[in-house]
Amino acid sequence: MARSYAFEVPVDAGFFTPLHLQPAAVCRLAFDGAGRWLGRHAISHRRLVAEHRTGLVLWSVQLVPGDPVGFFDGDRLAVRVTGRVRGGGTQLECDVEVAGAAGRPTRLRACSVPLRLDGGPALSGTPARLGPQVLAAFHPDEIEARPHCSPVPGLRAAIAARGTPLAGRLTPFVIHRHQCEVADQWFWPEAVSLAGSGREELVRTEAERVPALRLAMRRPASRLDLLLVRPFFLFDEGAVRTTASEWEGRLVFVHELRAGDETRAVAVEQFATGREAA
Amino acid sequence: MVRVSGALLRFTDHQRVINVDAPTVESGLVKLAGEYRPLRQVLFDRQGRVRAAQKVFLNGEQLEPDQLACAAGDADCVELLLAISGG
Repeated sequence: MARSYAFEVPVDAGFFTPLHLQPAAVCRLAFDGAGRWLGRHAISHRRLVAEHRTGLVLWSVQLVPGDPVGFFDGDRLAVRVTGRVRGGGTQLECDVEVAGAAGRPTRLRACSVPLRLDGGPALSGTPARLGPQVLAAFHPDEIEARPHCSPVPGLRAAIAARGTPLAGRLTPFVIHRHQCEVADQWFWPEAVSLAGSGREELVRTEAERVPALRLAMRRPASRLDLLLVRPFFLFDEGAVRTTASEWEGRLVFVHELRAGDETRAVAVEQFATGREAA
Repeated sequence: MVRVSGALLRFTDHQRVINVDAPTVESGLVKLAGEYRPLRQVLFDRQGRVRAAQKVFLNGEQLEPDQLACAAGDADCVELLLAISGG
């Protein structure tokens, strides 16, 4: 049976918006949980880096918020994590549930890619398989041959083909150290925060013209898909190119996080409308 | 001129543009690593080769490891780019 790791965290006000859990806070909790699962059942993240010269870089994330959870609903959040290897050791995937006192939990699936670190102090590396010693720590039912496939390219194509564009905007940003992890590379939940900034800037500036955009401030997203192509680093200048569309009865936002002409990440947020949200 | 960005900045005391006087790209990198000692371990492995994860561009064109001996003058711009880090 696939092993899980469960723990609780005391809530603080920074986990929440007025509507639900902050998506970036869920990502941080998930990353924390994945590290705990790895350390308990396979190998600690520190040993993976220091002894096996293997780092992990996030590649694909799917976040499906559960029933709304607020700051005043309870003192603790319950987090449960399971992990597995996919694609012959080329991917490490975790499923994370974050639950409040009652209702359906928020679910997050995150797939990371192992990197063979070259031993330098910048922690630079190139994609590689997990080594046999590390793979041996996983149970047979925690190893799946099929690789994880990101739904983002298919979603973008479907929205482009059948969606009705409503508005668009470019929101510039610069990466600073408080947005980074140990290697002066952005900490991946920052992609979710920047996508949120792009959406809120679009609502702030365009909602007078397109009132339907305000839905995205009244309700939490019903789903978020994120594809990370290449990280941003300290002082990198970029912009979020956000396009809002109506698609299959939903309000959707496609956020391209770009440096010049290069797309480094794509986030797709979906907001349920009408009966679907009820 | 060498342009440094991202995760490499902390190894050059956050200087982004550094003038280096050297006849080739490779000798320029060696000289740069001599001036900014923490950069030496980042750019070069123990055999003195430029690390595989380190991308080197000359006037916007990526150089392969066997092209680093090419000539570079005052008007040329060498850019160092770290594609990805893993923690």
